[in-house]
Amino acid sequence: MIWEVFRQEKTGQYHTHCGNVHASDREMAKQFAAIQHGRRKPTNSLWVVPREEIGEIDSEDVAFGGTTDKSYRWATAYNTTGRDASEVVESEDEQATAERQRGDD
Amino acid sequence: MDLETAKERAGPREFSPADDLPEEYRKAATRMIEFHANSEIMGAYLERPFIRQAPSIDRKLAFSAKVQDEIGHGQLLYRAAESLGVKTREEMLDDLANGDGKFLNCFHYPMESWVETPMIAFFVDGAAMRRQATLRRTSWEPYAHAMDKVCFEEGFHVKHGEDILAELMSGSKKEQQLTQEAFEEWWPRIIQFFGPTDDKSTHHDFAASVGLKQQSNDQLRNAFLDQYIPKARKYGLEIPDEPRIRERDDGTYEVEEDDLDWDEFFTIAKNDYEPGLDQINGRKAAQEAVQWVRDTIEGDASAAGGHAPQAAD
Repeated sequence: MIWEVFRQEKTGQYHTHCGNVHASDREMAKQFAAIQHGRRKPTNSLWVVPREEIGEIDSEDVAFGGTTDKSYRWATAYNTTGRDASEVVESEDEQATAERQRGDD
Repeated sequence: MDLETAKERAGPREFSPADDLPEEYRKAATRMIEFHANSEIMGAYLERPFIRQAPSIDRKLAFSAKVQDEIGHGQLLYRAAESLGVKTREEMLDDLANGDGKFLNCFHYPMESWVETPMIAFFVDGAAMRRQATLRRTSWEPYAHAMDKVCFEEGFHVKHGEDILAELMSGSKKEQQLTQEAFEEWWPRIIQFFGPTDDKSTHHDFAASVGLKQQSNDQLRNAFLDQYIPKARKYGLEIPDEPRIRERDDGTYEVEEDDLDWDEFFTIAKNDYEPGLDQINGRKAAQEAVQWVRDTIEGDASAAGGHAPQAAD
């Protein structure tokens, strides 16, 4: 049985997928995950999830958002002037990064 | 975990659903996040009519994207609230419909004209974003994670709102005048967004002691005024004489609390403000109109065959 493993480095961060383990039950899966994925890299918590419990939908099945030009819904599309609040600047930077990663520009 | 331990451990993103948290914490966090979730939903309903009334196709696209975002924020926040185990999502939505759910003061006021839209989309969203940015460090991890996504999206709302304001204030004399009038009407409400001053705030101390709230009402109000008064002036808006706002020597602001209508504020806080009831009942009607969708999804076959309810707008 295959268990997908999600690792969280520090309290409060996201659990992100880091690999999988082969184990007969949940207890064994947790032990293997701890050994294989929590031993070297800094780890606060691990999740193990049976692979068959994971639903997947991919870009073959559906057209995901974020690939067509919807510039009107990005902060970067609005050329306002003057000093913006720091949280607005931060949001715009995050959006600019996401926009660059969109891959069609 | 007892309350003392929770207070000792309290830090950014410290607590997750895996922790056994004291009831006081879970209740306070539920109250705060439910209020936030309700506000996202009620704000979206307030702005929704302006998708139809938008003066151009660009504004229409942006406004519908924004309203869609706000509804999404509500969904994220109900999840963060329900993960505390105090109230279910259905209970929170029903409470909002029957008038028991509390939400932001600004969203109790009717909004009738396009010139009012930047009052919400620039000033209120700007105020909200200031607060939300600090909540990325709240102690309830699911709330902080919701804030990551909300803040990512919210920058567009604020800048779009600012763009509308810039356009109106460089438009005709009449547009400028109507925008100034809308600003004068909304300005005191926007100041009250941050709630009463620290010494009169009833929930702050506990929420701060367990790391739920990161900054006090006064700190947030100051930070907002510091950023948004210069912006308002830059676009040619005149700051109303009241409430009187004095800049202290250290650059922070002092608001003359007595110049604000606190009777109205607390009437609103109790959901007793007459014009606000239309907002609450309007959303209730929309919730009822799409009850058949929920029933169908939940698999209640009998609901699909009954009378055809009016589609939600």
